[in-house]
Amino acid sequence: MRGTDVRLDHVDVTFGDFQAISDVSLEVEPGEFFSILGPSGCGKTTLLRLISGFQEPTRGRVLIGGADMAGRGPNRRPTALIFQNLALFPLMSVRENVAFGLEARGIPKRERLARADALLALVALEGQGAKKPGELSGGQRQRVAIARALAVEPAVLLLDEPLSALDLKLRQHMRAELKAIQRKTGVTFIYITHDQGEALTMSDRIAVMNRGRVEQVGRPEELYAEPATPFVATFVGEQNVLIGTVAASAPGEAAVDTPLGRLVGRTANGAPAVGSRAFVMIRPERLRLSDGAALAGVVSRRDLEGPFFVLHVESGDTRLVAHVPNSGAIPEPGARVALAVDPADMLILPEGETARA
Amino acid sequence: MREILRAFGGPLSLVIGTLVGFWLLILVAVPQVAMLDYSLWSQAANADLSAAIDRAYAEATMAEFDRRAEANPAKATELDEKLTALKRTIAELEAAQTSPPKTYGLQNYTRMSPLHAYIFVRTILSALAVAAVALVVCYPIAYAAAFAPTPRRAAILLTALLVPYAMNELLRVYAWLMIFDYRGVLNSLFAAVGLADLEARRWVPFLETQGALFTVMVSVYALFMVFPIMNTLQTLDPHQIEAARDLGASAWRIHARVVIPHAKPGIAVGVITVFMLAAGSFAVPQILSRGTGGDWFSQLVYRQFFEANNWNLGSAYAFSLLVVSLAIVFAMMRAFGVSLREITK
Ligand SMILES: Nc1ncnc2c1ncn2[C@@H]1O[C@H](COP(=O)(O)OP(=O)(O)O)[C@@H](O)[C@H]1O
Ligand SMILES: [Mg+2]
Repeated sequence: MRGTDVRLDHVDVTFGDFQAISDVSLEVEPGEFFSILGPSGCGKTTLLRLISGFQEPTRGRVLIGGADMAGRGPNRRPTALIFQNLALFPLMSVRENVAFGLEARGIPKRERLARADALLALVALEGQGAKKPGELSGGQRQRVAIARALAVEPAVLLLDEPLSALDLKLRQHMRAELKAIQRKTGVTFIYITHDQGEALTMSDRIAVMNRGRVEQVGRPEELYAEPATPFVATFVGEQNVLIGTVAASAPGEAAVDTPLGRLVGRTANGAPAVGSRAFVMIRPERLRLSDGAALAGVVSRRDLEGPFFVLHVESGDTRLVAHVPNSGAIPEPGARVALAVDPADMLILPEGETARA
Repeated sequence: MREILRAFGGPLSLVIGTLVGFWLLILVAVPQVAMLDYSLWSQAANADLSAAIDRAYAEATMAEFDRRAEANPAKATELDEKLTALKRTIAELEAAQTSPPKTYGLQNYTRMSPLHAYIFVRTILSALAVAAVALVVCYPIAYAAAFAPTPRRAAILLTALLVPYAMNELLRVYAWLMIFDYRGVLNSLFAAVGLADLEARRWVPFLETQGALFTVMVSVYALFMVFPIMNTLQTLDPHQIEAARDLGASAWRIHARVVIPHAKPGIAVGVITVFMLAAGSFAVPQILSRGTGGDWFSQLVYRQFFEANNWNLGSAYAFSLLVVSLAIVFAMMRAFGVSLREITK
């Protein structure tokens, strides 16, 4: 199996007068593990159905391996879709499920069952072929769905939140397994999730979506360190958001007057206009306890997360969250503390929509 | 049972149990047992008996004439005695005629004439064919209704299906009669394009064909096929159809491997219901063919009861139809591989 590239070219999808996908352009590399991350209802499933052929674009083009897919049904595209609810065939045995795509291609029974067994071995389900899907556990069913999709040797595997029904432990285990299968097969994976942790750990690249638009595409560490919009900054990872007015602006740097005083940080793209409203974004792990008179407040809550403590610090109406290492003296709730942060760790973005308003 | 007790409590469960028992006993068991009893006895053939009565009456009249003309007192006494004896015989014979002795046995079941046996077999086969045609016609309708792209479309489809059923069954059959009659809608259309000539009585005798009977039966019983299939199809996750398509399956294979296996209990219910209704149908063949298209077995049963006045033979006919139909139903359930439990679900 070998993956091919997928390109979306200025795609719109409208349902009636509701625009589910707005002007989306994407380029997925061959053999890439590409995630589409966004909150529920932002159009992720629609995007996947667009690639798999269940949905035709209202405008724009879908290209797979360079070929325009317009008018080509799902049964004639080199893609395989793993549905959010898996959609295994409950009346068929696991083996028949996996062999179904080969059956549809007219491959003789003996051969297709042998290939189904080989695929079941690939997903660590040897000997389970005679069971019905209903007799398997959630994680096993998940693997049957993967084997069934891989059986047709797709160039692109499309996965719609495939782990969302599993419990946390299993989910983490399956992340590693999916990644391993992707490496082993070389198939292009387009993986949909609303779980930013999942996207960050598994993906080569991620597209962050909101309200039918792609806000940013990048490698996980890029999205985390260099979010292009307030939405990406707040959806990917945790974030302290301070709102204020731009007091001074220079290329790559700006000063913002916030309720906690004037903060100087770096800007992402261009210089914000002086007097405009802006966000100052600070990651919780970048805040540290200090003696200086930086950001002062009172500890309102303290939660142990294992390797670090989560401190909630209040100052007036503003609340900051800081992750402080679990070593030395940790301030008790009620204690006055001062938090320090490097200017390079304060990102200034023009005011806009955030993920958790 | 225990669930009912838990859900409704003691007294209410008792009421429910009594009602169900009453229903089973009065409306199912008792009539069937009575029917079975009727079918198992017959009474002495009355033809000989009435001839004997006629003969005895004639003899008595003669004796009376003789007696009136007789002068000899010895002979007169003899004739009087003969008359009394004859009157007793007549009374006995008449008693035997009004309530002849019952003879129990299987004679009613072995007396079916070859013609009636032929009609019996043809009715069963035709009913099976009606069920098969109804399945072929109704499956796509049920599928379209279950997977209509919008709820509005589904509602429109269902309304279109239900409207004809708001009409009484007889009226529906008469409506078909108007369509298929010699001077009906179809023949008028044919006449308009020159294919028939109503003045010259040159027309297509639709009503004399099995085809017309089939069409009407399918249309009259279609709903009993559409609804169970639609109900099971509505429980099929549309993603399964999409998954099959995504894996490259043709429309035919999707139906054969995914949709039909899922709909099987509904299909079984539909086929069994339509078969039973068609096998026992009386009004449709009676109104439609008026004797020109060959009898349906239920018409024979009717005639045994109400024209030949032979309730015993009628019961035997009716019971035979019931038993054979049930046997076929169970055979179909085996063939479909569905159990009663699945069907009643
Ligand atoms: N077939 C459809 N008809 C109308 N609206 C739809 C249809 N499919 C999806 N939508 C709407 O499009 C939006 C995006 O849906 P979806 O792609 O399923 O989001 P996600 O997978 O990100 O949760 C939702 O508001 C949804 O209600
Ligand atoms: Mg979705």
